[in-house]
Amino acid sequence: MAFKKPTPKPGSAINEVTLGVGANAITLGGESVLPFYSFDGTIPNSPKIGIEVSDLGFENAVPGIAELYAGTSTPAEAAAKAAAVPGVDFVCLRFESADPNGQNRSAEDCAVTAKAVSDALGDSKPLVIIGCKNNEKDAQVFDKAAAALEGKNILFVASKEENYKTVAASVGLAYNQKVGAESSVDINLAKQLNVLITQMGVDGKNIVMNVGQAAAGYGFEYVYSTIDRIKAAAQNQNDTTLQMPIFTPVSSETWGVKEATASAEDMPGWGDVEARGVSMEIQTAVSVLSAGSNAVMLRHPKSIEAVSALITALA
Amino acid sequence: MANITFTFEDSRISPVCVSSHAGERLLDIARAAEVAIDAPCNGNGTCRKCKVSIDGKIVLACETVVPADDLTVLVPATAGAFKTDIRTADLSDPRELAIFEKTLSDLAEFPAGKLFTTELVTLEQPNLDDPTNDLERLLTAVNAEHIALSAIRQLPKALRSDGELALLRTKNTVLNIGSPVPEPLGIALDIGTTTVVMLLANLNTGEILSKASAGNAQIRYGADVIHRIVEAERPGGLDKLNNAIIEETIKPLMRKLYAEAGVSGEQVYRFVVSGNTTMNHLFLKIAPDFIRLEPYTPAFNRLGALNASDLGLDVHAHCKLIAAPNVGSYVGGDITAGTLTSLLWKRSSGNVLFADLGTNGELVFGNGEFMFTCACSAGPALEGGDMSCGMRATDGAIDEVTIDAETLEPAFSVIGGGEAKGLCGSGIIDAIAELFRVGAIDGKGKFVKSGSRITETDGIMSYTLSPGVEITEVDIDNFIRTKAAIFSAIRTMLNAVGFTVGDIDEVLIAGGIGSAINFDNAVRVGMFPAIALDKYRYVGNSSLSGAYAMLLSNEAARKVDELARSMTYIELSTDPGYMEEFVAACFLPHTDAGLFCG
Repeated sequence: MAFKKPTPKPGSAINEVTLGVGANAITLGGESVLPFYSFDGTIPNSPKIGIEVSDLGFENAVPGIAELYAGTSTPAEAAAKAAAVPGVDFVCLRFESADPNGQNRSAEDCAVTAKAVSDALGDSKPLVIIGCKNNEKDAQVFDKAAAALEGKNILFVASKEENYKTVAASVGLAYNQKVGAESSVDINLAKQLNVLITQMGVDGKNIVMNVGQAAAGYGFEYVYSTIDRIKAAAQNQNDTTLQMPIFTPVSSETWGVKEATASAEDMPGWGDVEARGVSMEIQTAVSVLSAGSNAVMLRHPKSIEAVSALITALA
Repeated sequence: MANITFTFEDSRISPVCVSSHAGERLLDIARAAEVAIDAPCNGNGTCRKCKVSIDGKIVLACETVVPADDLTVLVPATAGAFKTDIRTADLSDPRELAIFEKTLSDLAEFPAGKLFTTELVTLEQPNLDDPTNDLERLLTAVNAEHIALSAIRQLPKALRSDGELALLRTKNTVLNIGSPVPEPLGIALDIGTTTVVMLLANLNTGEILSKASAGNAQIRYGADVIHRIVEAERPGGLDKLNNAIIEETIKPLMRKLYAEAGVSGEQVYRFVVSGNTTMNHLFLKIAPDFIRLEPYTPAFNRLGALNASDLGLDVHAHCKLIAAPNVGSYVGGDITAGTLTSLLWKRSSGNVLFADLGTNGELVFGNGEFMFTCACSAGPALEGGDMSCGMRATDGAIDEVTIDAETLEPAFSVIGGGEAKGLCGSGIIDAIAELFRVGAIDGKGKFVKSGSRITETDGIMSYTLSPGVEITEVDIDNFIRTKAAIFSAIRTMLNAVGFTVGDIDEVLIAGGIGSAINFDNAVRVGMFPAIALDKYRYVGNSSLSGAYAMLLSNEAARKVDELARSMTYIELSTDPGYMEEFVAACFLPHTDAGLFCG
């Protein structure tokens, strides 16, 4: 008997969310099949790669990253270099300087930087703005930056359970930008946050989720199964409150674990620290992409090259 | 050495002065001095309830280390409130009393008056021809194996008075003698984690002579059973906890009962206690340590007959102590006694869900053919604990609330009709359901509307119902966790035995929520499953009514034993699905909104 290819029941599609405007616009999501299952149906938008840029630069960066940003003195210059790395789809600007426990730069100053970075990127790549992990300060920075970049269709990461009321109101409602909804590795919490933000009046089609992240090996199986289950609920059960595309900021986790930071002198058996960091970043990124993440954030040009090649090969 | 003086905002409590060493923790000093400061988190600095005032500054007693100098500490009225009995008074509301009486009339098959008999005898008085001693004379005249000391004490005078002697006796023992002999009395005691309620009854007639209730003085060692067990594990801890329930809570209540009824403890021959497994252990001073450790095994479930006077209680020396049996580590005598009065066991078909919602929520699901049971930690929110303006369903409690969708102005009823002092469980459910209905709060319980009644203090929003009575986002959060624990327990238990909420034919709700509970609102906030509202019924304090039935009848006590043995206990804490159900239920009405509409 000849092989008969099973035809899977078509699932519901993930929302298509466009970041950026005009020539630099990219679109996340849109698929109604399992990750990379292009044989089961069409995948209109392949997963996208963002490159992480910190407004303070990266301290003790491995050679490959230090080299990339050599000679740059402003976040705008760094972003322009980052945008030119092959395989990069968008640029993620992280406002580390806003941290009240660090430099505590004002929201107004951050907004000026955001504008300069956006101008430097021009039509090349869309911008994603990431906060300093202080909920209150993030809300202020996002408010000013969203105002300064009105009309640029910028994704702000993130609006969390602790600050969604202010972030979603300014980013999503007042300035009509894209809202990043961040929850901590739990399908119910992810769904609750989406419901809360949409109930405030933000269109669900303007939301991108960050459902939590971990470096591979650091409780990562929870991240994997959370993404996997969210996609199943969104596609198989047509749960409209979970049909937002998923963005996973991989690099902010992987470059902090000991595999990526312990020096070769301290861990002679482990080999070169840069190779380890790149490997950690690639493994984690490939895993979240295979779970269903629609976009990842990476830091090292080599990781970007490898992940980009994988996406192209499987698309 | 320095002197610490505790003064109290509540003027009925006199100041307490103790000496201390510099560096000691204020909360520990207060506890050693028997000064009641509410510390539900047991001094971990997390609940922030142990606030006291030193030189006008508010500090946490658990985070304050005393200096070498003398110190005066003002204890606010709320901190020691469990000591007063004004916040708690079960069966004071006529509606609650009506439910109690209806429950008892349903149990007519267990009539009172069969525990003791009164035998009349005529004894010849001793004379020179027959100088036989008094006791011999009695023993010759009656068929009894044993004459209680209290009876012998009455004998010489009673024998020498004219007329018949009345003997109060059981089959084998003569307990008392008189002409007439005082009626036998008994006490039914419901030990809740938060509240303790007691009834004094005439065992021959079943008449209730007096009733009293108070907060459980163990509260200062933690709001829930786990904190109490941890405290009991410390050196001397078990003594402290036993002392708190016996000496500080039960004995004062008994004195109150006796004074009100004008009787003495000598007349009390039967004492029935129903409480959760941990409360039973602590009441009897039996180490509860292993309740919270895998494999979660209590020291006992069924006790057999004990003697209440062994606990130092002011009762007759032959007073029988009966504890409603436990089923497992977190399903105790309160639920087995309550199951008796729920009449769930009388149903031959259809499935009843019986839920006793106290600090621990316990569920029983089944009918006369099968019974499953489980427990969840609901927290004290529905009994008024852990809420800024919570109180029991008694005078001054707001028990029903509606809120205008346009103006956000509330309308409410107050038990007793006076000034509003706080919110009882049913009022809390109503207030939150209404705030949610009018869109003032979102699914996480955060305020999303503004209005004159919505204010912000230290970043926390609150809604004022009446001067001094408000509901804060923290209260709402506590309530959401409570309702989530209950709803997820219902779902997980039904799941575990292959049923769904659609299989429920009747829901009986017991506990201190209050008879005004609005089931429509309770469903709207996702506390109970969305099934037809006419299937719901509030049955009051079933633990107390069950204990009362056991007090009056040996058959009732035996029935409770039988029920306990026929229940299958499901341990939710080991069920991997429970935590996920809980998180999903921590939302108004539920993360899966489809469960509550259409």
